[in-house]
Amino acid sequence: MTQKIIQIPTLNDSPEDFLELFKISNQVNGRFEDVRFDFTNCWFLRSNAVAFLGGLARHVESLGGSVIFDWETLRSNSVRANLCQNGFAGNFGYNAKAWSGHSIPYREEMEPDMNEIMDYLTYSWVGKWVKVTDRLRDAISGRMWEIYSNAFEHSGTEVGVFTCGQHFRHHKDLILTVVDFGRGIPSNVKAFLSQYVDETRVSKLSGADCMKWAFERGNTTSMGGVARGLGFDLLKEFVRVNQGKLEVYSNDGYAIIDKEGERFDNCYISFQGTVVHITLRCDEKLYRFYDEAE
Amino acid sequence: MKLSIKEWVGPRCIIKEDGQKIYDAIHGLLKSGETVTLDFDGVSQFASPFFNFAIGQLLNDISEDELRRLLIIENLNESGSLVVDRVIENAAQYHGDKDYQKIVDDILEQQARESD
Repeated sequence: MTQKIIQIPTLNDSPEDFLELFKISNQVNGRFEDVRFDFTNCWFLRSNAVAFLGGLARHVESLGGSVIFDWETLRSNSVRANLCQNGFAGNFGYNAKAWSGHSIPYREEMEPDMNEIMDYLTYSWVGKWVKVTDRLRDAISGRMWEIYSNAFEHSGTEVGVFTCGQHFRHHKDLILTVVDFGRGIPSNVKAFLSQYVDETRVSKLSGADCMKWAFERGNTTSMGGVARGLGFDLLKEFVRVNQGKLEVYSNDGYAIIDKEGERFDNCYISFQGTVVHITLRCDEKLYRFYDEAE
Repeated sequence: MKLSIKEWVGPRCIIKEDGQKIYDAIHGLLKSGETVTLDFDGVSQFASPFFNFAIGQLLNDISEDELRRLLIIENLNESGSLVVDRVIENAAQYHGDKDYQKIVDDILEQQARESD
């Protein structure tokens, strides 16, 4: 089998950068092949790209392919240091141990181990970088759990959930990205609605339509007679109070919640799975309890 | 009856499986008109899946007024209270038989208006 070489460009976290990641995903997704990721042209790799590439590698492996990150091609020392620090390099064949710093560790969760994930969110993420009371720290971690709950319960991911984060001390931003390679939100919404409505009509719903529906309080694709559909609602309320940003890319849909409100759009490159990318402001004045929100 | 949530599920009320455990313990009692107290002393982290199953689910066959009369919640912090309030509000409005036909028609109509 021939090896496919894929160039990893410099990747930040703008929508264009995410589309680059989806292009990479579509180059390998669903094929049984051997992939070599080449870093020659990569001079910056933000944590969202780290979580995504790690998940993509495991996804390819689950399909019977193999993945090599070609560390010999990595020319940027800062990218190398970052990937070593957050543990990504050590997970993918580079002889380096992670260490504590401004990176927030790269993680692969095969199972929804609640205590492990909550410890990570509580102590390695928010508790490490935002100076708030323990009570508020715990409240924030609980909101973040909603992301994992959605990923494990609704996505049908077979390779788990992938996370990475970063603290940017100059901008006072705290970032977390959670990626799964499951069905995706628009796919789930369409499958759910098709049980009740003619499929040809449901198929006309755009990615943006489906994302908007999924973000409305009380809407859920879960069956079983228990009212659900509060995860995104609680999360977006928190992000608004914090003046942060919540972005979700899933299939051909995109949602952004920030201080200007919520917008839903269509992505011209579709991706099989879901990325939740959250940016919080590390300004103590912006952290309040939800019942203090106006 | 009084239930110490920390003893039953620990300091984190997060997952639906733990919520179901609490539901199974209290549903029958509430149905028969008994008062139940849930004591959250020592519980520090909360998420909606737990409360959807522990409390929201009770509204499937107990009215909201009856639930508020019979279920007493103690020592729940503000963060947990907000989630419980939202869960009860959501469950009270929940109907398994939503008119999805109309929902899809409305979305497609909106889509058509925006593309004009």
